[in-house]
Amino acid sequence: MADPTALPQWLERFDRDGALAEAACQLTTTRRSLLGLAAAGAGATLLADPAGAAAAGASRSDVSILNYALGLEYIQASFYTEAERLGALHGPLAEQAHVVGAHERAHVAAFRKVLGAAAIKEPTFNFQGVTEDPAAFRRTAVALEDLSVAAYKYQAPRIRSPAYLQAAIAIHSVEARHAAWIRRLAGVLPAATAFDKPLAPPAVNALVASTHFVSTPPQMTGHAAPKFTG
Amino acid sequence: MLDGASGELGVTRANWFQSGLVAATALASGGILAGGFAALASSSPTHPGDVEVLNFALAFEELQASVYASALRGLKLTGDWLQFAQVVGEHEHEHVAFVRQALGSAAHPAPRLELTHHPVTLVDFQRLAAELEDLGVALYNGQAGNVTPPTLAAVAEIVSVEARHAAWARDLLGEVPAPVPSDVPADITQVRAKLTQIGVSVG
Repeated sequence: MADPTALPQWLERFDRDGALAEAACQLTTTRRSLLGLAAAGAGATLLADPAGAAAAGASRSDVSILNYALGLEYIQASFYTEAERLGALHGPLAEQAHVVGAHERAHVAAFRKVLGAAAIKEPTFNFQGVTEDPAAFRRTAVALEDLSVAAYKYQAPRIRSPAYLQAAIAIHSVEARHAAWIRRLAGVLPAATAFDKPLAPPAVNALVASTHFVSTPPQMTGHAAPKFTG
Repeated sequence: MLDGASGELGVTRANWFQSGLVAATALASGGILAGGFAALASSSPTHPGDVEVLNFALAFEELQASVYASALRGLKLTGDWLQFAQVVGEHEHEHVAFVRQALGSAAHPAPRLELTHHPVTLVDFQRLAAELEDLGVALYNGQAGNVTPPTLAAVAEIVSVEARHAAWARDLLGEVPAPVPSDVPADITQVRAKLTQIGVSVG
């Protein structure tokens, strides 16, 4: 089995300048720092106390997991933000996009704050038109939310820091609420089975890649130096 | 995962996700954390935290199952609420069976959780169901740090389903399905207090 904490390929693509890898190496991984973090962050959720963890240091694998989560949150936040901005949604669907979008943006902000300089940069997205059409938006939102639940579920037991675990598990269940909400709006069962299954990074990455939502900035592709037009 | 959606989610731009997700879920990799309850059930937990949390979970799931069974038996549910009670009641039933199996000989439901009076009106049931589902999410989330990773992997398969139930009930009640960006956990003392408040005797 592949190293479950390895930075997934689609996230590595965001880290062309190596900032993440470098930052991850600099972070301390001592037992003492982890225990210190646990004491400082005990009982606090990521969103309630987003500042404490970054300063205390985190294990390299935790940084990878948090960045992986940040990547998923970037996609979702941009998706809802763009859909709301384009104004094609109305009624209950517009309300869902408004509320859930705010949640996903809060998740992004929280992970970025915790990760500090180790946070991956936000990629550019091309949502292939699905944010402009209510039916396509609905289907895509169902898929993204169900995927997010499964991805968090796989990572949660692998998080070493109790504070990060508490934060991730509290977001995990909110993603499940989002999934149920949009599934209701899509006319399908909000909870289709008694047990939700986890999904490992290779499968998550393959699904994300298949969407073609993540478009690498032009100046970061190929071998040529970027052309400046200014 | 999206099998129930195949009718509505037809052949479109988003189809990549639907077919891909089902396939990928089936291919979920191996390892000690990938088996969920199947892995957990193969060896009864011995870690004190696991045993305690799973026993509380067993009592809680039994309570929920009894609420839905009681409503389906005694109330004339129709439409959305009938579907909700049937689907969710079956899920809680499955949760009880799996947690009991996972605990094996260590199953000693504690505390005993019983309704002081079963819901007699539709409104009673709706409120009770919604509050218990939200409380279930808070309970499981609050115990995430007290169990071993294999047990966490197993209960994580339940907590998101409870969150789906909670959102479903809230939506049917006209409330926001996801009221906050991060669900607030509850410790056992808080869960006991809330149970008492909503009419459950905690023995």
